[in-house]
Parts: sequence; C-alpha cells; structure tokens
Amino acid sequence: MMEEKDNVSTPAQPPKKHNKFVQYFIDLGARIKGWFAGKFNAVKEFFHGFSKEARAEKKALAAEGPQLSRGEKFRRGFRAQSGWLFVAPALILMAVFTFYPIIAAFIGSFKQEYLGMTGKFKGWGFENFIRVLKGDTGTGGANFVQCLVNTLLLTFVSVPLSTLLALLISVALNSIKRVQKAYQTIFFLPYLTNALAMGAVFATFFKIIGTVNNTETVGIVNIVLGWFGMKPVDWVGINSPVWYLGDLRIPWAKYIVAIIYEIWSGLPFKILILFSAMQSINKQYYDAAKVDGASRWTILWHITAPMIMPQISYLLVTGIMGGMKQYSAIVGLFGETMGMNYDMGTMVGYLYNYIGLGQTGYAYAGSLILFVIIMVITFFNNKLTKKRTTY
Amino acid sequence: MKISIQHLTKIFPSRNKGEQAVHAVEDMNIEIPSGKLVGLLGPSGCGKSTTLFMLSGLESPSSGKILFDEQDVTTLAAEKRGVGLVFQNYALYPHMTVEQNIRFPLDNMRIKREEGNARALDAARLVQIEDLMSRKPNELSGGQQQRVAIARALVKMPNVLLLDEPLSNLDARLRLQTREEIKRIQRTTGITTVFVTHDQEEAMSICDIMVVMKLGIVQQIGAPQEIYDDPSNLFVANFLGTPPINIFKGKISGGKVYIGGEAIAETPLEDRAIFVGIRPEGFIYDPEGVLTLKVDHIEVMGRDKSVVSVHESSTKPTVRCIIDSDVILPPDAAELKFKIKPYKLFLFDAETEERLR
Repeated sequence: MMEEKDNVSTPAQPPKKHNKFVQYFIDLGARIKGWFAGKFNAVKEFFHGFSKEARAEKKALAAEGPQLSRGEKFRRGFRAQSGWLFVAPALILMAVFTFYPIIAAFIGSFKQEYLGMTGKFKGWGFENFIRVLKGDTGTGGANFVQCLVNTLLLTFVSVPLSTLLALLISVALNSIKRVQKAYQTIFFLPYLTNALAMGAVFATFFKIIGTVNNTETVGIVNIVLGWFGMKPVDWVGINSPVWYLGDLRIPWAKYIVAIIYEIWSGLPFKILILFSAMQSINKQYYDAAKVDGASRWTILWHITAPMIMPQISYLLVTGIMGGMKQYSAIVGLFGETMGMNYDMGTMVGYLYNYIGLGQTGYAYAGSLILFVIIMVITFFNNKLTKKRTTY
Repeated sequence: MKISIQHLTKIFPSRNKGEQAVHAVEDMNIEIPSGKLVGLLGPSGCGKSTTLFMLSGLESPSSGKILFDEQDVTTLAAEKRGVGLVFQNYALYPHMTVEQNIRFPLDNMRIKREEGNARALDAARLVQIEDLMSRKPNELSGGQQQRVAIARALVKMPNVLLLDEPLSNLDARLRLQTREEIKRIQRTTGITTVFVTHDQEEAMSICDIMVVMKLGIVQQIGAPQEIYDDPSNLFVANFLGTPPINIFKGKISGGKVYIGGEAIAETPLEDRAIFVGIRPEGFIYDPEGVLTLKVDHIEVMGRDKSVVSVHESSTKPTVRCIIDSDVILPPDAAELKFKIKPYKLFLFDAETEERLR
C-alpha cells in the first residue's frame, strides 16, 4: 500500500522551487563542486601516468612500434617535452616567490605562537584568526578591523570618485583642440612621480605649523582656509581630529587628505586610458547624436560612457584591487606608524607591522583574510562588469 | 519642404604651408522642389558628401546660403534644422537595442514615453523591422541595420531626409531591393529627400532630380532621362550610362562631322577639333553605313547583342555597339558599317569639353 501511494504521489509533486537568491547559491555550489571534480580528475589522470600499469602499457606500445635508436628516442622525447624547458625559468621563479609563500602563509596561519626565527610553534589551531579579528594582538601593533575599515573606506570612496573625475577631464580634453597635447602631458606627469615623494609634498601642504626664518607658518591648505575665516585644522599631525565609533577611530581629517591624495594620484593613468579610448570612438556617432538633438550631457552618459564601458570597468576593477593593497602613499603622508598608532593603517600596513614585530602568525592570518576579501570583491566586480560591458 | 541652395561654397583650408586650399564645393545653386527625391551624383572627392553635411548642419559653408522653404538655415545648428541623416555606415549605437536607437531622437525631444513608443513602432513598421525591436545592431544584417538607420532618421518626422551613400555597404542584390525600398518610403512619407551616390545606375533608377557634380562644381541638374539624352558636357556624357558612351576624336570640316576619314553627319557648326560621343544603342547596322568599325568580337546577351570593335580614333580601347538580337550580321566579318541615330550623337568641343549644339 505504501509503495503504491508513493508511486502515485511522487510524479505529481513538482520539483522544489527556490527563490532566485537561494537558487543562485545552489547553482553556484553545484558549479564549484563540478570545478573541483574536474580538477580532481585531471590530477588523478596526471598521476596515473606515473603508475606501474601505465608505464607497462607505454612500454608495450613502444615495443610494437618501429625500433628506434637511443638518440632518436631521446630526440623525440625531448621534442615532446621541450615545452617544459621553455617555461621552466618562469615556473621556477613563480614557485619560489609566489607559490611557496602562498602555501607557507596558508600553513603558517594555523601555527600558534609561531616564531619565524626558530621555526618553533606551540600547536595548530585558529587562534591567530580569532586574535586578529578580535584585535587581541598585543599592544603597539595595528588593529585589524581599523585597518580593514580604513582600506575599504579609502578604496570605495577614492576609486569611483577619481574614475568619474578622470572621465569628465577626458571629455573636456577630448573636446579641446589647440593645446591638447600639452594638457595631456601635464595630466600625465604625476604618474611619473614617486609615491613617497608625493606623499611628503602633500603632507607639507596640509601641515599645521612649521617654521620658516624663525616665523611660525601653516601649510598652504590652512592658509587658504584662513582666507574664508576658518580655523586651521591639524590635517596630518598628532592633534588631528578623531571621531570614535566604539573602539573604531574615524580620523576624518586624515581621511580627507588621503582621499584627495588617492584621487589625485590615480587620475593620470585613468585619464590616459579613458582619453585614448574616447579617441578611438567613431566620430560619426557624435555627428549622428548631434543631428538627433542630443545634449552634451546625453552624449556623455548615453554614448561616450557606454562606448568606453570596458575601459571604465577595467579601471574600477584594477583601481579597487590596487586600493586594497595601498601602503606607500599612506606611509608617505602620515609617517611610518601610519598616523597615530596605525589609525590610518591599511591591510598591507597591518601585515608589514606584524612581520616587523616578529609575530608572523598574525600577518599570515591577516593576509589570508585579505585574500578572501579581495576574492569576494573581485567576484562581484566580474559579475557587475560582465553585465555592463557586453554589447 | 522646399530646399534652395544659393552660391554655396566650402573651402577646406590647407593644413601645411605650400599646399593649396581644397575647394570642396564651389558656387553651387540648386532649387529642390518639395517632396522630391534628389540624388547628388559624382565620382569620389567631388564634394557631394560635403554638400549633404552642409545641408544637415554638421559642416558650415564658407559662403553662400541654404534656405528651407523661405527660412535661412545656413547658420542654424544641426539639431534645430529638423533633418534626418542616415550615415554611410549607419552609425547605430552598438550598446542600444533597435528600439532604443529609434527612440533616441525622440528622447532628446523629451517626448512622452507612450507617444514615443507609438512613433518608434510606426517608424519601424514603415521600414518593416517591427519584429527586431529588442535586438542589438550587431545581431542584424547589413540591410536590417540600414533600415534601422532610416527608421531612426524618420522617427522625428524630419522636414528633410538626407542619405549618405545609402546603398554602398550592401551586396548587389540587396542594393536593388533597398533602392526600391527607399523610393517607396520616400513616396509614402512625401519627405523631401537628398541622397548621395557615386553609382550612376543607382541615381538614375530612383531619382526625380539628379545633380551631377565634378570637383566641387555642379555639371548638370535635371531629371535622369533628360540628362542622359542631353548631356551638357563630355564629363556628364561619359559618367552616365552602362555600358558607357563611345568617344571618338574627330573634327568638323565644311559642315560635316568627320571621324577618321569618314563623314558621319552634317552640322551647321564652324570648323574645329571635336570629340564625338555616340551612345552604344545609337548604332544601326547597315552595309551602306557611314562609320566603319573593325570587329573584335560579338557578345550575345539574349535580348540584344554587343559588337565590340576597335577604331583608331576612339579614346577608349574598344567601341561597343548594342544592336537588336534579331539583326543578322554577316558571319566572320572583319569590318562592319553602321549608321548613327542623330539623337544619340553628341558633339563636344575638344578644348572646353562643352557640348556643341
């Protein structure tokens, strides 16, 4: 009876329907599983080549075929495998400087109280990760959450803003004819300047007090603010204003300086890319738009921007990746300690900090977390840009 | 809308020292009546596209005037002239669908969504692409893209429709079909249409009025048949007609027209050196004829046949005569004699290349 009932009811039941969001992750899971299965099979096949049976098979095949001299055998074998020889230099370098460190960092992050000098550690576990995320990493060091917030905030404010600004400047540059080349050169100059040097110059701009000929002076930014009757702000120094959000510090004045710096230093490359992309747009599109009565604004948002969307998304993706790795600019602006006790610390700054302190375990754990975050961001980046750029 | 072009001139200044400024269009005067299909015809570099772009407002003339009806639009911006322009390579926006492309001019005019949709659909129906509305341009064939471009130009109900080499990017069969389509669309809408082409057959087949240009100067204006039958100079005679006209060096002496030693016609004109043009269909085979040609070979087309021959006075390597297929020619004749239809015979001055009447 039970069986019969089952037989009747099963086909009538529709397959369980998930909403779009859940279904997406189910599909994603299936895809990831498939990907791993594929890789596993490939590895299995690769190692099968070394097995006794496979070697015997090969030998049997060789015995059946024409008998070759030793030299000919070697030559044929060399020809078949010589590709490995050509990629060997790159492969060896990558193995030493990329693959080994990645694996070592992964393993090291699970070693508790690991000492880099002696290689001794207490045991295996997740303690490094827990301490990093909790901020329980001893005094004097950078705080992970602070560094993470700083990095994300600086990146997601400065990259879109500088891309937008670069777009507008490129449009302006594209519409002038006379001194275009000269302007192009001027806009590109910052790209050739060292980040630390630029940071130092910026820090001087924003300084509150300095002395010239025994007279106290303030930086140019504060002088300009003074013209508008504003009090000088300590933009980069030790008395820089800070808001507190629980334990989290929001040094807003320093943020402003860093964001302005990031936007400014990011512009040249972006302008170069966008400007050259615009130059390659067929002029007829603009003529057509003009005849059709499109305003400048419409032309910018409905024709120019979509046409150079591949370049824009490239800049956003690389800009965000670069932003997640920023370090030298912040050191240039705020000094070695990245502000007061790393209140302007970045993720990379965090890693360097703990490597410097000899507490490599925290650096390992931090780098793994950074890796995961960058991976997630890149994943969504790809999703978004794919949607926008296909035409 | 009536278009009147008065003393229109466009000079592109020289870019380098020592180079001459380019006179793309010189002192052009045309009156285009309302609702006509006008073709600007000429070899490449004759200023026909420049003229079209000056009509559209994308190029500004160096001097002269353009009037739409009685309004002077010479200095009016392109978007205010109410012209629809179809580009040679269509210039469809690749990131927009067909519908968005067609709607684009309407969106710029801030027309309401429902009305815009209705008008876009009407325009699409007119060019028969209403089922392609959600496609992107790169998913369309060349002919379909062409139609979208025309729909985009028509959707804002322009006063004047301008087409730049509308058929040059299409294959031969589609070209025939599309040129009839353009004629049909122009008839249904009644919009004054100007189009540019270097293909005389294309222009002859659909134009109401044809403007033949050479090096920026208008050579002749008129209905296609009129110009064909009554070319005003050697260039026009040469440019129109397939197969092209036969040109001979000749002279007028004692009231007779001579090609080589043979007198082929009588004329009241004074003695001088001339070019004689005879259309291929202007020959009649006649053993008693006035012009002797050395036969090279005969091409049989079915409906008619071409006698391809040589003559020492001809300016072209061969002379082509088209005669009816039922005319019986003597087999293996090395030479044939022809009479010449007087209205297919044109005389041009050897120096000025102007027509002698």
